[in-house]
Amino acid sequence: MSEMLLEIDDLHVSFSTRRGLVEAVRGVTLAVEAGEMLGLVGESGSGKSVTGFATTRLLDSAGRVTRGRILFRGQDVTKLRGDDLRQLQGAAMSMIFQNPRAALNPIRAIGLQIADAILTHKRISKDAARAEARELLRAVQIRDPETRMNAYPHELSGGMCQRVMIAIAISCNPALLIADEPTTGLDVTTQKVVMDLLAEIAAARGMATILITHDLGLAARYCRGIAVMERGRIVEEASPRTLFGAPQHAYTRRLVAASPTATSQIEDLVTEEERERHAAVVSRPRQELAHGTPPLLEVRKLAKRFDEGAAAVADFSMTMAGGESVGLVGESGSGKSTTSRMICRLIDPSEGEIVFDGQSIGHVASRDFHRSRFRKDIQMVFQDPNESLNPRFTAFDCIAHPLMRLDGMRGGDALRKRVEDCADRVGLPLDLLPRFPHQLSGGQKARVGIARAIACRPRLLVLDEPTAALDVSVQAVVLQLLDRLRRENDIALLFVSHDLNVVRMLCDRTIVLRNGGIVEQGESRALFDNPKTDYTRKLVEAIPHIETGPVLAAAL
Amino acid sequence: MLSYILRRIASTLPVMAIVALFVFSLLYIAPGDPAVVIAGDQASPEDVERIRQSLGLDRPFLIQFGSWVWRILHGDLGTSIFTNLPVSTMIGQRLGPTLSLMMVTLLLTIVVAVPLGVLAAWKAGSLIDRAIMAFAVFGFSLPVFVVGYVLAYVFALELEWLPVQGYTPLAQGFWPWLQNLILPAIALGCVYIALIARITRATMLEVLQQDYIRTARAKGLGQGGILFVHALKNAAVPIVTVIGIGIALLIGGAVVTESVFAIPGLGRLTIDAILRRDYPVIQGIVLLFSFVYVLVNLMIDVTYTLVDPRIRY
Repeated sequence: MSEMLLEIDDLHVSFSTRRGLVEAVRGVTLAVEAGEMLGLVGESGSGKSVTGFATTRLLDSAGRVTRGRILFRGQDVTKLRGDDLRQLQGAAMSMIFQNPRAALNPIRAIGLQIADAILTHKRISKDAARAEARELLRAVQIRDPETRMNAYPHELSGGMCQRVMIAIAISCNPALLIADEPTTGLDVTTQKVVMDLLAEIAAARGMATILITHDLGLAARYCRGIAVMERGRIVEEASPRTLFGAPQHAYTRRLVAASPTATSQIEDLVTEEERERHAAVVSRPRQELAHGTPPLLEVRKLAKRFDEGAAAVADFSMTMAGGESVGLVGESGSGKSTTSRMICRLIDPSEGEIVFDGQSIGHVASRDFHRSRFRKDIQMVFQDPNESLNPRFTAFDCIAHPLMRLDGMRGGDALRKRVEDCADRVGLPLDLLPRFPHQLSGGQKARVGIARAIACRPRLLVLDEPTAALDVSVQAVVLQLLDRLRRENDIALLFVSHDLNVVRMLCDRTIVLRNGGIVEQGESRALFDNPKTDYTRKLVEAIPHIETGPVLAAAL
Repeated sequence: MLSYILRRIASTLPVMAIVALFVFSLLYIAPGDPAVVIAGDQASPEDVERIRQSLGLDRPFLIQFGSWVWRILHGDLGTSIFTNLPVSTMIGQRLGPTLSLMMVTLLLTIVVAVPLGVLAAWKAGSLIDRAIMAFAVFGFSLPVFVVGYVLAYVFALELEWLPVQGYTPLAQGFWPWLQNLILPAIALGCVYIALIARITRATMLEVLQQDYIRTARAKGLGQGGILFVHALKNAAVPIVTVIGIGIALLIGGAVVTESVFAIPGLGRLTIDAILRRDYPVIQGIVLLFSFVYVLVNLMIDVTYTLVDPRIRY
């Protein structure tokens, strides 16, 4: 037992809120060996981040360790105060965070931010600290470290910011690094680069790492041991192979099933027992379209330039048939969101034509499009259900609003019936309708967003990363819902996402974008199984799959 | 950067032109015949006519405005009706005391208010925080002249630590100069300290919630480093803005404060000019204050770019 670097023993953490004490962590016991990489996975609210913050003593002032202890090299971290604590923080133990851009001070040059950490713990001159900072930038593979020293976070990409964070975290050679969702929000390819770098550095320096993530695939790829958390407790701890091959706990089984893999189908995303419970959700096969049916949407040579800069999108052409689902994938900056917004008629294209149902709609200015009769035919579901719902509108108002604006409904029983019907179709319990967004869970909010979008019976639904902010189990349900809606109501889906696994499952066809242009397109399965371009291959290979097993662990 | 400053100066020209038009129109906005207004109640018709002639009030409005602007551009603010001295000379004589008062007040305010705000934000919810905020409400609610008379009574009349009133030029020594300014600066700065302490606290509270503050804590930085190096500079933009807006408050407050403490500054000159309906002097002072205010705004905008590298023009 004494070789353990970190031992968490029966940890309880509570937060005092307006509604009283909330127990976020209830009895976590965990041990980390020196040099080990441990995955801590679970969905939002499972207490995985709180466990990490308690260990590094970075809990909000509202949070308190109420029971248990955290032994780091035999010393109880929860009892440290003042200087003893600061000697630990950033030196023996450090942490990197989700959303690296926000985690860096926006108005301080990154070289100084790294030097801050060094100067806090080492008695060396400022010049020496700067020299060390430069070496660290080189170690995290930032090109041209000399000039980057003076860069500010907003001048760097998200992936670069996370490398700077890693440089700060490793600046004093910690024995333990806690990485809290280090790659959430980054592209798959960037994610791979950052995680490979982190794993390499950890291995080279013999640094133990706790990888906190909601992504089972990511944990499986990089960790030798994985602990699964649910509602403040660890429900299962095993090697990735055992965990995914033969999950013991019901929650783990559900989580494993909900994680999309390279071969999974939409129907696979729930466990056997759940599928039986929801037997009603039988998917009807889609009717084949009669030959020669005109396309629902035709886009020709679409381009968008912002100000005087380079084109965000150039020469983009595509067609979609009614009821078809098309995926639009690419890294951030590839122009996929810009394209989808032009098709939604939220922004105006600089060039090109958009033809919907035989009518040209590209020339209608986006600010006048709400008066077009096609507004209700083209609707959208936005990325973050937490941000895209008006906090002062109840779920009912949210769904009723487009009906009143676009369908000319006046209220009363007819409106109530339509709203309830929409809620029913997306599986939103009717008693939740009077609630405000903050009283709903992430999945429920996503359903409200979808109900709002389908309220006016659109023929084309544009979805911009609709599940990116959701937990995998919620994502699974939302994906099934979208697929069902498409089959039942013949709604065409234009699905914008960076998650290739999801696109492959949901979309008939996929278009790969890079730097505003189409790189490759074709039938989804064929495209992902046999990518024709290097770019697509790189995208596909970067997705962490739970089958691949821990590549780095195996190599060690 | 330089081109930005030049562009900003160019863009203030129309603003100054509109201000000039307003200032000039002061005389005409007041009800009645301007010549009669200036001449006062006891003037004979001949006096009124003489004033009308000498000020050129019989000419069309736009021509009068044009020639007034032309003279100002040549540095001629006109001549006081009451003293027959050039307005620019009169303002020049009174500039020193007012500038001294404003500078000392500004310095005092920043030195007191910002640390108080930071302290309150750091200890948010504690007794210290509540005490500081209670003081802020207090400072807000007390009129300058009340604070002024109370201070003068306690520190000058009773304790005899400081002079009751008056002004000593800086040329006669630093301490005599400062001695006369301490009480007026405290009286004038009260509202201002309260305002800036509150803004500092609110902005700091928001900044302290940010992810990068957590990063700073994760690095093991001490409380001082976190508060002053990482948080305060991020909170600076709103604070600097309010300091700038506050300079307008200071100008208004200086008028009252100078009366209370008998400081022969621009504030006193303003009051005297208003009482004597000395329009050329009023116009000159208002124009000067507007100009200072436009200049301060320019300085604030330039400060933003120094504080925040994301702001580029």
